[in-house]
Amino acid sequence: MKLKKDELLWLIIFITPTIALFFLFFLLPILFLFVTSFTNWNGISAEFVGLENYAKLFSKKTFIRSITNNLYWCITAAFVTVPLGLIIALLLAHKSRGWKVFRTILFIPQVVSSAAIALMWLALFNAEYGLVNSLLDLLGFSEYKNHNWLGNIRTANMALIGFSLCYVGYFMVIMLAKTTGISQEYYDAANIDGASQFQKDVHITAPLIKSTFFLCIILAVIFNLRQFEYVFLMTAGGPANKTSVLVVYIWNELSVQRLGRGNAAGVIMIAIGAFLLIVLRKLLKSETYN
Amino acid sequence: MIKSIFKLFTVAFISLSLTVISAVASAEITINWPSIWVGKDSKTTVIRELVDEFNAANSGAIKVVIEEQTDYDIYGNKLTAQIATGSLPDVFTVGADLLDILSKSGKAMDLAPHVASDSHWNNVYPENALQSNMTDGQLITLPYELFVTPVTYNKKLLKAAGYDEFPDNYDDFFKMCEAVTATGKVCTSQMTGKNGWTSMLWFSQALASAGGPNIYENGLDDPAFVKAFEVMEKMYKYTTSDAIGADAGVSGGHFLNERTAVFMNGPWFIARYTTDGIEGLHANIGVAAAPMLKGGKGAPGGYVGGKQSSLAAGKQSDPEKEKAVVKFLKWLTTPENVARLSYSSGAMFIVKADLPSDMDRLFTEMNEGKGNAPYVVEIFQNAIGSLAVSKEFPQALSALALGEVTPEEAVEMLKDAD
Repeated sequence: MKLKKDELLWLIIFITPTIALFFLFFLLPILFLFVTSFTNWNGISAEFVGLENYAKLFSKKTFIRSITNNLYWCITAAFVTVPLGLIIALLLAHKSRGWKVFRTILFIPQVVSSAAIALMWLALFNAEYGLVNSLLDLLGFSEYKNHNWLGNIRTANMALIGFSLCYVGYFMVIMLAKTTGISQEYYDAANIDGASQFQKDVHITAPLIKSTFFLCIILAVIFNLRQFEYVFLMTAGGPANKTSVLVVYIWNELSVQRLGRGNAAGVIMIAIGAFLLIVLRKLLKSETYN
Repeated sequence: MIKSIFKLFTVAFISLSLTVISAVASAEITINWPSIWVGKDSKTTVIRELVDEFNAANSGAIKVVIEEQTDYDIYGNKLTAQIATGSLPDVFTVGADLLDILSKSGKAMDLAPHVASDSHWNNVYPENALQSNMTDGQLITLPYELFVTPVTYNKKLLKAAGYDEFPDNYDDFFKMCEAVTATGKVCTSQMTGKNGWTSMLWFSQALASAGGPNIYENGLDDPAFVKAFEVMEKMYKYTTSDAIGADAGVSGGHFLNERTAVFMNGPWFIARYTTDGIEGLHANIGVAAAPMLKGGKGAPGGYVGGKQSSLAAGKQSDPEKEKAVVKFLKWLTTPENVARLSYSSGAMFIVKADLPSDMDRLFTEMNEGKGNAPYVVEIFQNAIGSLAVSKEFPQALSALALGEVTPEEAVEMLKDAD
């Protein structure tokens, strides 16, 4: 479609602010990040150091562990949190008695401050007086009486990632909303054929919300790649750097004035994010966008 | 429609104009102070009183506004970012670990001309206290709070374990810990959360005991670092199950609740033994020098400590505001006000102040211990000279305590962080 002269003018007028803001607050900082990643910038002075920052990063065990931990977070979100959200959405879509109450309860973590939730879980996981250990003790698992979930190398990551499951409500709500758009005619036809509720869920609802399910997977991977606040507030990457994730690693570099190296880690994070997105889009393309 | 929009713009314009006019007309200078002496900090009450009194005395001319900073680590990170971006607050406190970058930034106010032109500073500070803080002829910080960190222990819990005196060497200390454990109590309060503060103090004591007062001259290659980690490895066998990942609140809380028998922190914690401790706790607390390592280069009675917080100010372009900031700094450093702060909190200050004769018993014991100490060695976090190393310390310590690394490997973790 060819635009008229005045239409083109209006198009430019309307689009310029957005492009300017995008350039100023997104492209320019990324360019700055990229350039400074080749320097030893400490906030006060900077010298060009070539690829030294990148070489150092890949020689650090904690950095490699941070990347793998991020991948664990992403995998858990894609294969546990989102599918769990789908199951709950399918159950709530029946609109059985009290479904709205459950929907609200599951969505509550989204509207509560993440710092408050992290502090609450810190108290629940506390080795000396935490509710988790008391419950396990009551159930007969006395070996966990004083278990330090977040302070033990074997359980710290598990406890952190397990805690993230309380955010299942976010994906559940997205998928539940999609189910409301499914035509009743499909279910009426299935009823005539004598289909059970389970069969209707599996053969009608699930396939029709597949695109939203895949969208949720993409969102979950993006969210978990930039995971920060829960790890920072609950373990700060400890014990022994075992729960560190990329953003916590970057934070630590920045807080010791190694801004150049921190920015190099940021560039790597962007590259990983872009790679994951490309792969996911390729894998899920036909389902998500058609 | 157009009329409504016009009315809206007119109202907005008048409101904005009035705001600007009132701001210009008032001409009150506002001094922003992000203070860590808020919340549960033992200096909170008197600091608030001092600010209120200053504001009342300078009503309409100067107003100090406290911006509450309840988390020391987050404050440190914020200040680091502000130093890097050159957006320093008007007045702030700074720890020894950030002095170097603050000095290099060139963003802090040089107080040397004010010290030279006003006898106040030279009268209230001990001889050479200000000179030792000068770099290249500039004075960017006023030394303020200082500290020592002897051992504080619960005499009642130790007595129950069969000990009337605090052991003077680590062999006896760990035997005592066995005895305390047998009574159902926990021997020491430790922590690896945040900067690992209370454990870092123990580590500093063990370092000074193993390597002597000049321990930091040889850097991390000194074998004393391995010996100090060996002490910490044992120490974590006699601590609470939540020590890994615990912060100072948890670590101190166990001692305040008589769950643990031995604790290490600075004199600012003294007031909390009464305000937050279990009933009668303060009367049961004893003060002792840290145990010594047999064969170490340290001397019995040696203390660790150092400068805790120094006062500083951001560079000002407005000479009137600079004068106001200096006036407030002078207010904070008058001997009377420092005595009030010290009396209420138990904290120690460099400023010469006539302290009341009824100062807290624990303060007096710590002060006497400091006076009798053969040396006072700077704590590890301040002396090691690398933010990255001091930040890695709690991670290395937790790895050591969990059996992931040996003491030698823990030192390697510190070296690798730099």
